[in-house]
Amino acid sequence: MKNQRFLKSMTKSLLIYICAILFIGCQQKEALLFKSVSPTQSNVHFQNDVTESEDLSILDYLYFYNGGGVSIGDINKDGLPDLFFSGNQVKNKLYLNKGNLAFEDISDKAGVAGGSSWNTGAIMGDINGDGLLDIYVCAVVGINGFKGYNELYINNGDETFTESASAYGLDFDSYSSTAALLDFDLDGDLDIYLLNHAVHTQESFGRMGLRYERDRQTGDKLLRNDNGKFTDVSALAGIYGGPNGYGLGVAVADFNQDGFPDIYVGNDFHEDDYYYLNNGDGTFSESLRDFFGHTSRFSMGNDSADINHDGYPDLISLDMLSENENVLKASDGDESFQIQKLRTEQFGYHYQYSRNMLYINQQQNNFMETALMSGVGASDWSWSALFADYNQDGEQDLFISNGIPKRPNNLDYIKFVSSDQIQNKISATKLVDQEALQLMPSGSVTNYIYKGGSDLIFENKSSTWIEQTPTTSTATAMGDLDNDGDLDLVINNINAAVSILENTTNEASSYLKLDFQLPIKNHFGIGTKVYAYSDGTLQYKELYTSRGFQASSQPILHFGFGNSKTVDSLKIVWPDRSIDMLYTIAVNQNLTLSPKNNQPASKKEQKGNPLFHRVKNSGIQFTHQEDNYLDFNRQKLIPYQISDRGPAVAIGDLNNDGEEDVFFGGSKFMPAAIFIQNDSMYNRIKYPVISNDSISEDVVAVISDFNNDSLNDILIGSGGGDFYNQMDPLKDRYLSQNDSAFSKEILPNYFGNTSVVRPFDFDKDGDLDVFIGSYASTNDFGGEETSFLLENNKGAFTAVETSVFDNIGMLSDAVWDDFDNDGITDLIVVGEWMSPKFFKNTNGNLEEVRPINGALNGLWQRIQPFDMDSDGDVDYLLGNWGTNSKFKASAKYPLKMYYHDFDENGSTETIVCVEKDKRYYPLLGLDNLAQQLVVLRKTFPKYEDFAGKTIEQLFDKKRLQNATVLEVHELRSGYLKNEEGVFRFVPFQNEMQVAPIRTFLEYDFDADGKSEVLAAGNYFGIAPIQGRLDSFSGALIKSDAETVLGPKLGIDLSNKAVKNLNIIQLKNKPYLLVTINNDAAEVYEIKIKP
Amino acid sequence: MKYIKILVVTICVLLSACKQAEPLVIEADELHHSIDHVIKVMIHDIFSPPVASRIFAYPNIAAYEIVALNNSKYTSLVGQLKGLTPIPASETPVNYQLAALISHIELSKQLVFSEEKIEIYRDSLYISWKKKNRNEFLNAETYGLQVADHISQWMDGDNYKQTRTMSKFHVISEDEGRWQPTPPSYMDGLEPHWNKIRPFVIDSAAQFKPTPPPAFSMEEGSDFYKELQEVYDISNRITAEGDASEEVQVAQFWDCNPYVSVTRGHLMFATKKITPGAHWIGITKIACKKSESNFDDSVFTYAKTSLAIADAFISCWDEKYRSNLVRPETLINTYFNDNWKPILQTPPFPEYSSGHSVVSGAASIALNSIFGNEFSFDDTSELAYGLPMRHFESFDAAADEAAISRMYGGIHYRSAVEIGIQQGRSLGDYVVANLNMKSK
Repeated sequence: MKNQRFLKSMTKSLLIYICAILFIGCQQKEALLFKSVSPTQSNVHFQNDVTESEDLSILDYLYFYNGGGVSIGDINKDGLPDLFFSGNQVKNKLYLNKGNLAFEDISDKAGVAGGSSWNTGAIMGDINGDGLLDIYVCAVVGINGFKGYNELYINNGDETFTESASAYGLDFDSYSSTAALLDFDLDGDLDIYLLNHAVHTQESFGRMGLRYERDRQTGDKLLRNDNGKFTDVSALAGIYGGPNGYGLGVAVADFNQDGFPDIYVGNDFHEDDYYYLNNGDGTFSESLRDFFGHTSRFSMGNDSADINHDGYPDLISLDMLSENENVLKASDGDESFQIQKLRTEQFGYHYQYSRNMLYINQQQNNFMETALMSGVGASDWSWSALFADYNQDGEQDLFISNGIPKRPNNLDYIKFVSSDQIQNKISATKLVDQEALQLMPSGSVTNYIYKGGSDLIFENKSSTWIEQTPTTSTATAMGDLDNDGDLDLVINNINAAVSILENTTNEASSYLKLDFQLPIKNHFGIGTKVYAYSDGTLQYKELYTSRGFQASSQPILHFGFGNSKTVDSLKIVWPDRSIDMLYTIAVNQNLTLSPKNNQPASKKEQKGNPLFHRVKNSGIQFTHQEDNYLDFNRQKLIPYQISDRGPAVAIGDLNNDGEEDVFFGGSKFMPAAIFIQNDSMYNRIKYPVISNDSISEDVVAVISDFNNDSLNDILIGSGGGDFYNQMDPLKDRYLSQNDSAFSKEILPNYFGNTSVVRPFDFDKDGDLDVFIGSYASTNDFGGEETSFLLENNKGAFTAVETSVFDNIGMLSDAVWDDFDNDGITDLIVVGEWMSPKFFKNTNGNLEEVRPINGALNGLWQRIQPFDMDSDGDVDYLLGNWGTNSKFKASAKYPLKMYYHDFDENGSTETIVCVEKDKRYYPLLGLDNLAQQLVVLRKTFPKYEDFAGKTIEQLFDKKRLQNATVLEVHELRSGYLKNEEGVFRFVPFQNEMQVAPIRTFLEYDFDADGKSEVLAAGNYFGIAPIQGRLDSFSGALIKSDAETVLGPKLGIDLSNKAVKNLNIIQLKNKPYLLVTINNDAAEVYEIKIKP
Repeated sequence: MKYIKILVVTICVLLSACKQAEPLVIEADELHHSIDHVIKVMIHDIFSPPVASRIFAYPNIAAYEIVALNNSKYTSLVGQLKGLTPIPASETPVNYQLAALISHIELSKQLVFSEEKIEIYRDSLYISWKKKNRNEFLNAETYGLQVADHISQWMDGDNYKQTRTMSKFHVISEDEGRWQPTPPSYMDGLEPHWNKIRPFVIDSAAQFKPTPPPAFSMEEGSDFYKELQEVYDISNRITAEGDASEEVQVAQFWDCNPYVSVTRGHLMFATKKITPGAHWIGITKIACKKSESNFDDSVFTYAKTSLAIADAFISCWDEKYRSNLVRPETLINTYFNDNWKPILQTPPFPEYSSGHSVVSGAASIALNSIFGNEFSFDDTSELAYGLPMRHFESFDAAADEAAISRMYGGIHYRSAVEIGIQQGRSLGDYVVANLNMKSK
């Protein structure tokens, strides 16, 4: 009995135990979204074997490892999409879809095996307009003995094809990557953009102007379909065809939504990418610089889709950055800041950085680049990007194929291995030993897939959605192979069988699959746009099949709708711009649509009256010119520059006529400038005491009457990153006005990199005292700087004896404001690598209090009082660094900066470390760190020794223990929400985190009786490893519920390092003055709606 | 049984004693091998030419000071080299040649990055010496390390460490005449603060400051323009003649670029060669061998030559970052032909004066002072790098060829070469005149 009970209880606990295990097991394992279909099951045995030989390897042909092509389409109209693969050296294959993911190889019968020596991209499309999908296979011809030409397989309708490239004028024997189909002139037939690439890398940057030349073999071509014969109209249409194009990616979309398809071309190496806007008259205008602040450097495949539901196509361009520390730190990285300046400023190329770029379309304004913030910046050696709603939840997901058989940018290989092994071979015979090539490390890696989310964020689902098999995956196409409604993927791999990934979503989530039948030569409706509205959300797609890399996908549009059972409406815009509307459409079906032309072509949307309007006749002709001092040359390891925080700007009446004048400070060795307002505009007036005093770097200035003589004076805070210790130009200046001139007054003897000058009569004695905040010192970034309070005694300043501002940190801003609502104005200061600090004012005595719970260290740039939540008490807006950089921070895993004299040379260095998988790694690689810390070269003679090492593994314990560790817990801009005197940080939404917010301006811009805050920022003084923080267009913050980005306000401050925003009253009308570092100041009229 | 044991033990002891009695004889060849090995490690680690010259100098001085203390033929450099103090004397009798070699190896190890590569070489030598004669080796090792340590402390005061962390060379400028980084790697200017390194024999880095180069001017007919045109013309002519051209061969023979970067798309690699200094150290070895110099004489020869070379680099680099002159490649690409590439890859530092010219001038004078100026030799230093042997009638002839090779290579103008070799020879004369290394 007892035994039985025991047994029973045992069984019970065992049961619980088993259940628990199963439960945990279930919980932990998310089902794979994609199932691999084995070649045995699919009968698809195509394998792009790439074989090196004595005279053919990556040394002879730079794109030896770029892989073949793949395309998906129903070539026999049986309702099942078929597969075509092109091989570099192996024969092409065509597989008929027999249903149930089984295929039949009909290559021999079809006659598509191909005759070229080296095939590249392959696309399907109805080239001759007979309603059947033809196949166009690109080739590289004319180097390394490669023979053949681009082949066009015209579909005979009976599962056979006839190669007819020459009859159509498409038999190019050049260096083609792939081709894209589009009807650029909207004449109803399909034209072709042929993407070509140069085959020899130039060793020098060369002239940017090479792109204006035309090279038959390397230049891209726009081929116009003239009744079945393709005419090269590149020159006429304004398409570049130079010898320095390395075209690897082409995306077609109507980026500016003017009804004509536009083209984005990704070029490898230092040639810029091209952004061709279709002028609608058969020509294009290449406009990259007008719309992109920076691009990927080694641009590879790309793809376009509307990811933020605004009806405008966004874009991703791939590169080859790895996030794996072992790979990252052993691979060649970005160029130096100085070389970047040389390449851009002297050679004229655009800003390019080696990582993926995600560009958010801002509707005819600059694209906002968010890859790092969005989490898609690094996916290793990436080839194909395909946006689609793989899980059908209504958000665009992203698949990226990647991998390379050998990593040619491995630093140990470049610097050590190669030399010993191959240099003699190369110099002696120009051949390379296979063994030497084998020494390059393998770049076989797992593919990436990201789940699209709201607010521009992608979540890496690679380890849960797809199988983790390392491959070298190149061209990829998508289609619904099993007609179950979801999108499957087909991947062409190098030296391995193709991967067919079956999507298992099926009807678990709603979908709608659309294909089109048009009674024109563009039978499949390439260029058709569909706007799908469901649950108040817009999804927008347009049909272009050449996507990703060297591939074309099934000619369908596929939407996911999550749990919705019906779609409210579909607006279909046909290529001729006529419109059909469908309402209340059931999900989970396949619709074949043809134009009914219910509605005529829509007119262009009326643009509202923007709030801001740029004016150029204000007379304020001020261009701030940054001196060419480079902090990184001297302080090689600092996280960002400190010398470029100007210019100072101050508004006030300087000639006692009652009108507001403007003071602009100059950078080092540049004089300040004063603009005086006269009857109708501003005029620059020279004051000797100012124009003769140009040495200082003026960072901040204030105009006010400091000596109570009814005349305004100027207080200028100076600093910069060049002068140091107690050099004279570090002294701030106080200029008092008298008889239309200024004279220099004495200030207390303090030296510092002044970043803040905030006047306030804190002791209530009737004159203006001043808080002076100090930023980082030259040669001692990370040090605890001391700030000052200057007391005004009838116009003479003395430093208040107080220790509360000693060593408080690197300040960037301060504000006098009554934060505790006791009727006395207090002081709040903010700065970098520190928390906002609150100083309570009691009878002129300032004492630090802590109304924020917990540490809130940020890279705070600016503070602005504003009642964000309209609850009657004051909140504080805080400008921060943003999340769109390689810095990462959270309370749990703060950004860390070790500050110490690591090399014992008498001055301090900083090493910034970022958390990755719970470990901390220095942001910089060995080459960068060793520029300062040479000892690392001895400790880590090989890059592989250094790569993957945490900061604790790189430096001995003692050294790290001696270092001061500065931390940042929060990088997002946001506001301190006042909750009855206690402040809680609330971040802004993600579109406000794309770059540092460096200035706020509170004003009632729309004259509704309630003020708003205009925010602006961007910053470029960071090393190329970080890129440029250029994507913030500016935004009008109305409340915690409403923020409007610049482009909708008529102002786009992207790509401008905005230092300050001011209101100037000109002729008693308010204007917005935007002061920009190293650029011309801008003036905007504020258009108040009647 | 017990007796047998004792007997065995006794025999063993005696045997080992016998073994210990074998004296260690260190020949000049062992020094040559050791230096060759250090050169290999230096190539692997990619040291720039000025830094390489320093890596040669200090170990040679350490070895020399030990020799000078023990061989009355030679005089110590104390009082002749800035800041050098007398090395400690050995407390016990020591095989001074072995100690000299050990101090050379140990200091070299300190100076390179890949210490492991020296350690492997060192350990196999040490084990064989230890086997042969444990006591003699251990004594020499103790003393060699002591001297290495002494020299190392002196070395630490030469400002090398400080110059590592000084600012990078600023290249962003509107001034066309200023140096800017060159293709293909656009590397930063190397060693912009080398003139702050403590020189060995010369008073200061600027003591042999050459006359300035022709003033920069892109006006046709100006001296500068003519020199630029000449580089372009020579290059075009000899390129047309092809690799068989004598000038092309001369250029390649004296390339001596420790890091030539090669780019093939995303594939990059480097071909690495010895530096100009190492080439002259190679010639020094050839001369020692041909003259059958013994160990002590060879140490002396290396020491003297490497001192001249090291000071030559300090002098030359001082001028380079003073005149800060643009390389021909930059201007030819801008003005004449944007596809033009020099036969040699342009090294990453300003043009004037030519480093190879200055160093060759100085080294040849040092070698002349030892072997005379009619010492003919077959220069086989570049065989290992796939270049043929070249024969020279004298060190002067070799230096002249090294200098002019830079013009053929398309990386220097005529002034840098002609004034450069003069700068080197004057410096060499001074070094020779001011060094008293042989007892009278």
